[in-house]
Amino acid sequence: MNTSVEPLINDEYTGGPPNKRVLAYLQAKREEGKKIAGVYCGYAPAEVMRAMDIVPATLCAFSNATIEAAEAILPANLCPLIKSSYGFIITDTCPFYGISDAVIGETTCDGKKKMFELIMDRKPTHIMDLPQLPDEEEALSNWTAMIRKLQKFLEATFKVHAIDEQIEAAIKDTNLKNGMMRKIIDFAALKAPVVGWREMYDLTFLSQGLTGKEVEPVLSEAVRKLEKRQAAGYVYGPHGAPRVMVTGCPVGGDAQKVFNIIEEAGAVIVALDACSGFKPFMMDIEEDTEDPVKAIAEQYLRIPCSCMTPNTRRLTEISRIIDRFKPDAVIDVVLQACHSYNIEFHKVGEHLQKNHGLPFLKIVTDFSQSDVGQIRTRVEALLETCN
Amino acid sequence: MIAAGIDIGSRTVKLAVIEGGKPILTRKALTSHDPLEAVRTLMNGVEYDAIVATGYGRHLIKDYLKCAAISEIKAFALGARAILPRCRVVLDIGGQDTKAISLNESGDMSKFEMNDKCAAGTGRFLEIMANALGFSLDEFSGNALSAKGAAKVNSMCTVFAESEVISLITQGASRHEVALGIHQAIVSRSVALLKRISTPQEVFFAGGVALNKCVGVLIGRELGIPVFVPEDPQIVGAYGAALHAIYTKKLLLNIDN
Repeated sequence: MNTSVEPLINDEYTGGPPNKRVLAYLQAKREEGKKIAGVYCGYAPAEVMRAMDIVPATLCAFSNATIEAAEAILPANLCPLIKSSYGFIITDTCPFYGISDAVIGETTCDGKKKMFELIMDRKPTHIMDLPQLPDEEEALSNWTAMIRKLQKFLEATFKVHAIDEQIEAAIKDTNLKNGMMRKIIDFAALKAPVVGWREMYDLTFLSQGLTGKEVEPVLSEAVRKLEKRQAAGYVYGPHGAPRVMVTGCPVGGDAQKVFNIIEEAGAVIVALDACSGFKPFMMDIEEDTEDPVKAIAEQYLRIPCSCMTPNTRRLTEISRIIDRFKPDAVIDVVLQACHSYNIEFHKVGEHLQKNHGLPFLKIVTDFSQSDVGQIRTRVEALLETCN
Repeated sequence: MIAAGIDIGSRTVKLAVIEGGKPILTRKALTSHDPLEAVRTLMNGVEYDAIVATGYGRHLIKDYLKCAAISEIKAFALGARAILPRCRVVLDIGGQDTKAISLNESGDMSKFEMNDKCAAGTGRFLEIMANALGFSLDEFSGNALSAKGAAKVNSMCTVFAESEVISLITQGASRHEVALGIHQAIVSRSVALLKRISTPQEVFFAGGVALNKCVGVLIGRELGIPVFVPEDPQIVGAYGAALHAIYTKKLLLNIDN
């Protein structure tokens, strides 16, 4: 059965890009007089901002339209995400940047670091020095210190103050949200999945923008609808469609062409293993510790981004996702010039072959439509090996 | 049963019609700006019980002929295996893509690699370089093979390589040596793809570029392996698609019974 069902989020933004929904939310916050901090990356510790009643806003980074403007300054052979982000800022077309009072960045890669230097004079911008050897004992203390520094920056910029109890409350709020999201993600893991990538993406996007308390009613409603779909025997996608896990760089906006091609080729995407997907929700922050900031630091250092070395957590996490979502094939999406994900693919491929015997594919792409034909050929050939 | 396979590549459209698993008719035409028209001309008067499309334009034809489509990677794997049952590695260099495919013992595809998204180091690249040196395609390969040494060409981008070739010639390099350098540049890229999918072993070399003797000879030399070029390397994909047409037709018949 594959008839139309009620969307998990049923509002005026349904069917459109999910950032419009979050923008409306942020504008309402703004009208209430709340302060907004623009963020680019999953390493930005939202809990510290939330504890100070500052609302984090994910800044635009996924459109091909702003790349041309960016390339007047940035080299063409650079990550499209960085070019797009920068293009949005210099053309003044990112409404999230427009309503942000400050911007927070991290030293995840060279391209971002140097791009941040070019935008620092526009708004109060704070860069966090992210340790990239997460297993060294100094990593935790250094990252804890960096989060405390962020706290000081926010205090100085916004004349607000947070005590550890408020940070602890924000941790619990995040954990509440993550728990709810994992419940939803489980429905994609079902043998007959009842939800596709677009609705999953909408929910992850919304959940990243809101507090746990704010998003809880939406997520509870989504769980009820998913249970109803399951009870009614609804199945997402064609009968017996191969299940695909997508891992790698963040994917959104124009890069979603890859998701569309995978579905058009007859597969169902069951797992989105990226910062734009399930990654932020897979683990909880330890609660009721002596130092909540240290607990936050510990959790964020566990994010298996390819900027970390060694990044063995990524392989462990991939295995966990495979066990849970039972994909038939894995696609590693690498954005052009993202050297760390591109090189790490070799390890990912070896891991998949040795430990899971799954067919896999790397797709290196940007935000243009120029390579759609080539991607289609590769994806179809990969799926042909699943039959 | 008569089955047909049609392979719409970036430069040429290929048709193979088979009966009892053996080709009874093959045709080729330039893809041109209107691939549908090219297909119509090619199919003129051809009758078949089943047809499958492959190649870059497969989805266009799939809708036009209401038939199934398979990726050219699968089509080349099927075709190569039917022509040379022992083959485990297939290299297809076409007009805009290079594909290296490894097959397991039973002939199923186990790994594949494709070149990056631009047409660097493919058939189109060779055409333009031959033109820059004033060779026909036939002369190009022969003259490269007879060169005593190679002038190294570093660029793989067609546009940059053309400038490099012109600059080599103005420095006094012989065009034979430049021709060999160009062939070596293509070969080193193809060899890198082959190494990624398999340990060195016999390669079934297909696609339009397999018509170029120099490329095959250099690949064999570089990897120390035999290179098998079928009688008509361009038709392998269409042949594979036709074989798949038989398979899907039989599957359908089984369901009907």
